[in-house]
Amino acid sequence: MLFVTLSNGQEKTEPEAKKDTEVVAKTSTIDADSIVVYKKNYGLRLGIDIVKPILSAVKTNYNGFEIVGDYRVKKNLYIAAEIGVAEQVKRRDTYAFTASGSYISAGVNWNSFKNWLEMDNEIYVGARYGFSLFDQTVDQYTIYQEGTEIDGISGPYFEPRSNFTPRTYENLTAHWFGLLFGLKVETLKNLYLGAHIQFNFILNQTQPDNFQNLYVPGFNKVFSTGTGLGFGYTIAYRIPLYKR
Amino acid sequence: MKKIFLVFTTLLYLLTSCEDDDFCDDPTTPRLIIEFYDKEDPTTRKQVPIYAWADQKDSIYQLVLTDSILLPMDTQSTSTKYRLSTTNIIDTLDLTYTTSDVFISEGCGFIANFNDFGVAKITDHWIDRIEVNVTKIENETETHIKVYH
Repeated sequence: MLFVTLSNGQEKTEPEAKKDTEVVAKTSTIDADSIVVYKKNYGLRLGIDIVKPILSAVKTNYNGFEIVGDYRVKKNLYIAAEIGVAEQVKRRDTYAFTASGSYISAGVNWNSFKNWLEMDNEIYVGARYGFSLFDQTVDQYTIYQEGTEIDGISGPYFEPRSNFTPRTYENLTAHWFGLLFGLKVETLKNLYLGAHIQFNFILNQTQPDNFQNLYVPGFNKVFSTGTGLGFGYTIAYRIPLYKR
Repeated sequence: MKKIFLVFTTLLYLLTSCEDDDFCDDPTTPRLIIEFYDKEDPTTRKQVPIYAWADQKDSIYQLVLTDSILLPMDTQSTSTKYRLSTTNIIDTLDLTYTTSDVFISEGCGFIANFNDFGVAKITDHWIDRIEVNVTKIENETETHIKVYH
């Protein structure tokens, strides 16, 4: 009992500077020669967003794929990038449109999680610059015309005109800045599961004439303030290059 | 760590699974605004007990005493014929226009604006004359037609 309590206490106060908790617990001192700094694996981590292929298979209005990668430059600092494609069909009450294109984003992640022993998990914040090249197609629309009230009942007085000829705006671009918050857990050696949420802000975009970028691949739904919300669940493998 | 991960992913799912509920709260396809004026004193509005209906449609106004009416126009056509009636005398207004479809917002989508607006022909049983104020009908904030009677 005492042994367990002692060893737990030691772990919590000096998590990274112990070689063998049993020895430490028994002696209750740390021998300078026994201090071991757990080395971290450095290397290129590559993976995919696991939700996007599932959504592509399940949903009829979405197709997307994303490759994620990062490279550890310091113990807690990573250079990270994502590259992907997306096609999203959105249907609204009076119109439908399709956004499709590719995107790339790059930036850094900074891990704030203090790992014990040789654990290598992350709670991180990140920053990204993102760019997308895409097409928007207005698939169809019906003119929005308020109903007319007759005898207390509101309804269309004239049936509003509909347009079923798709109109495509090609080679639109959007640039954005994003802030991320996420987790990465090493589940097997060098295999990581991750989840993140991302807040995006449009920096610059080319808008279609007589339409609006309501969805941008990589950015997702564009809110009226030019902000967006993204999320991802990733699985990634680190190709270990060296330890430090 | 794994517990944090689970909680976090659940939260993330809840946060992102809500659908957008954009609704339309902008002015949409404008109606035609007609104001009634006194033919003897053209700067003074003059009320009229009015019936108003489009060809083969129900009356939008049924004996309403008013000095202005708002009438929707047919976006599938380039003309709309309205009957304006008071004290069983009917006059006909033939409104002509072209339409242009304008995307205004995510919630409303596309609306129609009316261009090259004109009143092609009228009968003048109770209406003395008509003055077309604007040739582009894009909102409901100004008078589009003045009817003197």
